[in-house]
Amino acid sequence: MNIDAFLICALVTVGTYYYVFHLPGRLYLGPEKTRLGYLRERKEAVYENLRDLNFEYSAGKMPEADYVSLKSNLQDEAATLLAEIARLEAKAQQTPDRKR
Amino acid sequence: MAAIGSFALLLALGLSVYSFLAGIFALIRQHDESSPRIGETARRAGVMIFAAVLLASLVLVVSAFQDNFTIAYIFHHSNRALSLPYKFAVLWSGQEGSLLFWSLLLAAYGFVLRLRYKTDPRLFAYASVVIAGVQIFFLLLVNFAANPFGLLGGPLRADGSGLNPLLQYPEMVIHPPMLYLGYVGFTVPFAFALGALIMRYPGEKWIHITRRWTMVTWGFLTCGIFLGAHWAYSVLGWGGYWGWDPVENASLMPWLVGTAFLHSVMMQEKRGMLKVWNMWLVFATFWLSILGTFLTRSGIISSVHAFAQSSIGDWFAWFLAISLAVFVYFFFKNKEHLRSEHKLESLVSRESSFLFNNLLFMLACFIVLWGTWFPKISELVQGNKVTVGPPFYNRVNIPVALLLLVLTAVGPLLAWRKTSLESLKRNFFGPTMGAIAVAIFLMATPPSWGSPFGLRPWQDMTYFYSLMAISLCALVTFTVASEFYRGGKVISNKTGQGMFASMVQLTHRNTRRYGGYIVHFGVVVVIIGIAGAAFNQDKEQEMGYGDKATIGPYTLVCRSYTQDDKANYASEWAIMEVYKNGHMIDTLTPERRFYKASQQTTTLPAVRSTLADDLYLVYEGQNPDTQKPILKFHLNPLVMWIWMGVWIILAGTILALIPNAQAAVRVPAPRLVEHAAPVATGD
Repeated sequence: MNIDAFLICALVTVGTYYYVFHLPGRLYLGPEKTRLGYLRERKEAVYENLRDLNFEYSAGKMPEADYVSLKSNLQDEAATLLAEIARLEAKAQQTPDRKR
Repeated sequence: MAAIGSFALLLALGLSVYSFLAGIFALIRQHDESSPRIGETARRAGVMIFAAVLLASLVLVVSAFQDNFTIAYIFHHSNRALSLPYKFAVLWSGQEGSLLFWSLLLAAYGFVLRLRYKTDPRLFAYASVVIAGVQIFFLLLVNFAANPFGLLGGPLRADGSGLNPLLQYPEMVIHPPMLYLGYVGFTVPFAFALGALIMRYPGEKWIHITRRWTMVTWGFLTCGIFLGAHWAYSVLGWGGYWGWDPVENASLMPWLVGTAFLHSVMMQEKRGMLKVWNMWLVFATFWLSILGTFLTRSGIISSVHAFAQSSIGDWFAWFLAISLAVFVYFFFKNKEHLRSEHKLESLVSRESSFLFNNLLFMLACFIVLWGTWFPKISELVQGNKVTVGPPFYNRVNIPVALLLLVLTAVGPLLAWRKTSLESLKRNFFGPTMGAIAVAIFLMATPPSWGSPFGLRPWQDMTYFYSLMAISLCALVTFTVASEFYRGGKVISNKTGQGMFASMVQLTHRNTRRYGGYIVHFGVVVVIIGIAGAAFNQDKEQEMGYGDKATIGPYTLVCRSYTQDDKANYASEWAIMEVYKNGHMIDTLTPERRFYKASQQTTTLPAVRSTLADDLYLVYEGQNPDTQKPILKFHLNPLVMWIWMGVWIILAGTILALIPNAQAAVRVPAPRLVEHAAPVATGD
């Protein structure tokens, strides 16, 4: 290995070492995933399904009987999710009180 | 230069090992105070892998530009007279370079992923570890089994052996990168899927995160496959674009499974269904990408793509086995987490159409896999290799493709959960009548109109398939059009805009859905092009000065034939005048080249493409007795439709990647709940 190549390799090594191990004081860790977060995502998905259903009904893709039945199913699903979200939110609010 | 390249590869390997091990340590000991900092060093090491592999790749490219024939790889794949773009393409023209290129692309994907870690740091940390694991394998290969920086022993060579002449074609500068971007890219959805499985990720957000990665990767693979088909058509000189060669099949298998995944993943997003199936599809797509590379690199299956056969097949076999074992272990460990949230409610529903679509894609993949492996299987069972050719694949895959077309037409018109008979009638009557009208029209028109008119399905099975394909393509087109029309009408009624503006707005509001429809339309155009193969004609003739030949509506007259000598190659070609209805419409020059450095001959067909047909001339050589050129003429109807369809598919894919213009309903951002217990499962 000639001296130029050696110097380039040494420079790359030092640069890499510096970047990998020279960390800032604070690191971004992000929020932790919870069941509540998951339920909110599901709720959004159900709302999205409801929007799609409404749009398809407006476009004349299904008879009213189908629409009413499918909408009712989705609303039941949304209601179940909202109930559990409310329960978990209430529990989350009570927990700090109890600690106090 | 070679020393810098070798050093960069070793550094990249060291960084990959550190990123992998430190990443695992940080994830296992995630409650330790020091683990976030160790995890961050793992992420940063992952970022630096890209810099190191990029340096190695640059060294190889610069060596090619400098004609550094002390490096064995450059000596074997380049020569002084090679033009600059092909010298750049030397990077992926041989085994060692293409494995380095694979490592580079994987490092690039990993680089982007690790820079975007703030989207979900924990999930990205898992995905980063999986990618580092895959990266270790490829860097072990390029460091110890197929090092592109190996030096050539003996005296310094004045010139190199040259690049394979078949690769000296403009598309070869972009075809391999596109294909590799597709192959390598499927590592990313797999990494997220395995990460989500290992950490028992609650919910489907990981799918949202990986959706774009998967679509981009799918787009690259699609582009790569069709560029390969176009290259084969333009260079190999046999008049076709797809020969069911093992290397072609190797690219098709992950594409088929990846396409199945892109469809079935919607069921998981919308209904929380098919979680297990999707997990296996992601894994299978990744695994088949590696399997394809194993097939083409190991020499285990014979292929016309006779590049790169060596002992690295053993490395791939081990990697395939280890990746399967790791996936199966975590799957069985955490499969409870993948419990479906809903069941299939009706066989006539959007869900069931996706399910059947998936089964057909998997069946097509299995057929291709079976046919590709059959020579090896027959050798193991009977002791002699039996190769299956295009007739096998066509006989089995054409009906599957037709059924897929039916589902492409039917699926978008079915409702989620269940669809009533009344709804079916409402949605299908118009498109079905339209498709039947097209079929009747094709049969009623006279054959003199040219292909595909005057179809007589009772005369030949290929005509029957062709008629079915084109009629079903019409059905898909009508259903896609009705989706745009009905949606546009709703917006038009609400806003008072014109129909075209409403359809544009409709597409902006749900780019994924309507981009997907455009992709479907592109597929339709491609299939119409493929259906044209039922009417192919060809003939071979010796052509002296002034000699005439006729094929289809064309008359060809040989005006001249000559030779030339250039630095890189010697060539001979014929000048052919093309007449139609008594008028000269074009001049074509089919050519044959002899590349001096590699001592290899190749043909450059001359192609005149129109929407109706391709006139394809091949200069096959000179008759040694008469010194006159022998030419082969092909008339290939509708081929241009294939290439147009690919552009439409790519446009649809890009459209589907654009974020939606607006959400109809704004849902308040969730507040951070710090004291809710982390969940183990999403159900």
